[in-house]
Amino acid sequence: MLNKYKPFSFLDRSVYIFSFIISFLILVPILGMILGNFGIEYKYFEFFSQNEFSGYTKNSLLIFFSVLLITFIIGTFSAYLVSFYEFPFVDFFKYSLLLSFAIPPYIFAYTLSGFFENYGTFYSILNYFFNEELTNNILPNIEPLFGSIISLSLTLFGYIFILTRSSFINQSRNLIEVGKNLGFTNFDIFFKIILPSARPAIVVGLSLVGMETLADFGTVSFFGISTFTTGIYNSWFIFDDLKTANFLSFLLLFFIFSLFTLESLSRKNLRFHNSLNSFRKKNEKITLKGTKKIMAFLFCFMIFFISFIFPLFQMIFWSFSFSNSINFQEVITLNLNSMKLIMLASTIIIFLSFFVNFGTRVLKSNFLTFFSNLSIAGYAIPGIVISVAIISFFSSLDNLLNLNVKSYFVGSLAGLIFGYVIRFYSISFNTIKTIYLKINKTIDDSALLLGFNKLKILKKIHLPLLKSNFIFAFILIAVEIIKELPITLILRPFNYETFSTKAFNMASNDLIEAASVPSLFIILWSSLLIILSIKFFLIDKK
Amino acid sequence: MANFFEVKNVTFSSSSEHMLINVSFYIEKPGDIISILGPSGVGKTTILRAISGLEKIHEGEIRLNGRKISSKNFFVEPEKRQIALSFQDNSLFPHLNVKENLILGEKRKSKIKTKIKLNDCINLFQLESLLNKFPHEISAGEAQRASLVRSLLSNPSLLLLDEPFSNVDIGLKEKLQVNLKNLLRENKISTIIVTHNYEEAFYFGGKCCLFSNKKLIQFDNPYNIYHFPESEEVAKFFNKGIFLNAKVVSSNELMHDVLGIIKGKFINKFKKGDTVKLLIQPEDLVHSDKSNLRFKIIDRRFLGTNFIYFLKISNHETLPVLVHSHHVHQHTINEYFGIKTPIVIKHLVCF
Repeated sequence: MLNKYKPFSFLDRSVYIFSFIISFLILVPILGMILGNFGIEYKYFEFFSQNEFSGYTKNSLLIFFSVLLITFIIGTFSAYLVSFYEFPFVDFFKYSLLLSFAIPPYIFAYTLSGFFENYGTFYSILNYFFNEELTNNILPNIEPLFGSIISLSLTLFGYIFILTRSSFINQSRNLIEVGKNLGFTNFDIFFKIILPSARPAIVVGLSLVGMETLADFGTVSFFGISTFTTGIYNSWFIFDDLKTANFLSFLLLFFIFSLFTLESLSRKNLRFHNSLNSFRKKNEKITLKGTKKIMAFLFCFMIFFISFIFPLFQMIFWSFSFSNSINFQEVITLNLNSMKLIMLASTIIIFLSFFVNFGTRVLKSNFLTFFSNLSIAGYAIPGIVISVAIISFFSSLDNLLNLNVKSYFVGSLAGLIFGYVIRFYSISFNTIKTIYLKINKTIDDSALLLGFNKLKILKKIHLPLLKSNFIFAFILIAVEIIKELPITLILRPFNYETFSTKAFNMASNDLIEAASVPSLFIILWSSLLIILSIKFFLIDKK
Repeated sequence: MANFFEVKNVTFSSSSEHMLINVSFYIEKPGDIISILGPSGVGKTTILRAISGLEKIHEGEIRLNGRKISSKNFFVEPEKRQIALSFQDNSLFPHLNVKENLILGEKRKSKIKTKIKLNDCINLFQLESLLNKFPHEISAGEAQRASLVRSLLSNPSLLLLDEPFSNVDIGLKEKLQVNLKNLLRENKISTIIVTHNYEEAFYFGGKCCLFSNKKLIQFDNPYNIYHFPESEEVAKFFNKGIFLNAKVVSSNELMHDVLGIIKGKFINKFKKGDTVKLLIQPEDLVHSDKSNLRFKIIDRRFLGTNFIYFLKISNHETLPVLVHSHHVHQHTINEYFGIKTPIVIKHLVCF
């Protein structure tokens, strides 16, 4: 017989109900979208599977697996180098490689395409040295699929890098010493000890990369590749066919959650981390010498250069070269629009996620905990699916109740913020939850026994302990919102532009150079926020 | 007259495996102290959590000061109970320094007014040097002392202490125990102290609850628990003596195959001819160098003030005997050791 929670006081009931409503509202459009597909006719599915479906699946899977492979190699190897070896600028690389997060894949795609196009930057460089014929022969032709894979890989490897590095740092030195004692070479130690021990971190990193790859719309759309996300967008935007958009969203979700299930089943019952902290000694790095030192430096430098410096400088170059396309009034409006969205969405997301975290903590309700955990699934759901789910949900609601709610949520700031809340709620929820888990529950119990009611605990105990993490959550959400494209594109108010929508519209109209200014602002704002988060939250403690 | 505090037929449970069934005990009048004793994992902390309102109960009821505070269908919120709990783990608020933590206790609105002053407590529990430190800068024992003082300063109707000295250095422990007991007595603070150390339980508690195997096995004063255990389980809890099979030969005598006649007063009733298990504690037997009843020493344990000699009395029985360490001479292993006859034990604890 377990102690089941029974709310007693009015305050408890209010916290419970409010926490439940928040979690429910975040979940309901997605649930609605999933449920809406249950009545689908088989004939429709048959027709669909014979036509676009195979193309969407083939392209999506090809990009998905290629990106996973490349990000795994780049992310794991760079994390290994900076964690275990000493070479020039290693301390710089261990943080600067995170700046790849500041480049959205679609901006990398603009850079790649614009740099290698005929009469583009690379052409100009080659033409300076060679004649035109030779230049045309040397100039590589960037295939759309290849371009998409490279753009996604070089902007997403950071997930694997950051998680794997953290796992490497925490790996027990004993394991490595045992390996050496057993006569393993460095190669054996890496493949037989270090890499398998870091498997959970790598798998989580790969899951995030996989999710982002499947969710990507900007890159594949720019290169004109048919994938699930472009299919959803085209169904809705071009053919006004919400049913197909809904169905494709459902398939994409099904695929993502199947992968998650497969991943969690594959590591069931396996334990990787040495839980005995007392045995953990700080790894002493091996100082590389000669060629190895240069190779390690060059590898990290190349990754840093290609993933960050290359797109940054290309955008700076275009911004100055085509400075006549800059409309300063517009730049100010774009900044204000983006700031407004960030402030509004972050404040709401942080408040809601804090409140639900607080509710699940103080009420100890299994049901509420389960429900709130479900509601963080939003991050796994592509932005485009969220947009379609919101539109579907409000359309159904209007039809069902004969209302006109849709107009308030589609093509409005409220709808856009709602979309952001669903998509980025988990970032803030998990950031706050991580800190909450570190706060011993007896702290709350002590406060109760000192006569604090639950709201006073929230104000006097939890808020002071969590406030710095609200800033961290704010930074993480801000970076995501600045880069976010599909939700903004679909749910924004008419003519309401942000950096990402402006850049996308320009690039879609073959005006890549004109897309440079909004793209540059995305990079600069994101970089600034990432540098702030590194300086105040992510830097290694000495 | 109703008891000041009462736990009536309560089933405490923190999980389906960890539960204490049908528990009843009480504090007779304000200012009394009782202790809760039992092995680790028996559910002692769960009892304190339920009394303080941090856990709910499904059967029975808990009353404080004539008022029901918990039952299956009734529950007073922990913040409204005027019960303070000093946790075993560090429960200081991490964003406040030690002094600010203590002041929070002092600020609690309480109907009870005691003479406990912040500065007195700081002196008594040696917290002077810790006042400006944050919880992460102090040791577990220091945090435990600060947490105890914070609970004391909140002027509770009932104070609950969960292993209050478990992390405190042995050298300081005894002094702090004395200081705490005096403070509780002077200010008439009703207290329940949980411990797995029976000496601590006996020192503080006017009465003791002894828990084992999911139930309360005895609730009595320390002397009775030790000398008049109500069951074999209670006697075994202290794990100091041994049980010997003996035969009842009269209303105040037992016969053991090797030790012979053992005299004393039975604590339970038996018929002549009954075979019983007799509890022999190390202090029950008296050493005599001149005795003819001698056994080989197979081990000895030095306890500072005493020695305990372990004598082999048969192939499967070993007898512990306590001797003052200032006894004229020491005995070594394999030596023969005399026991004074006839053996007289004040209370014959038999089952």
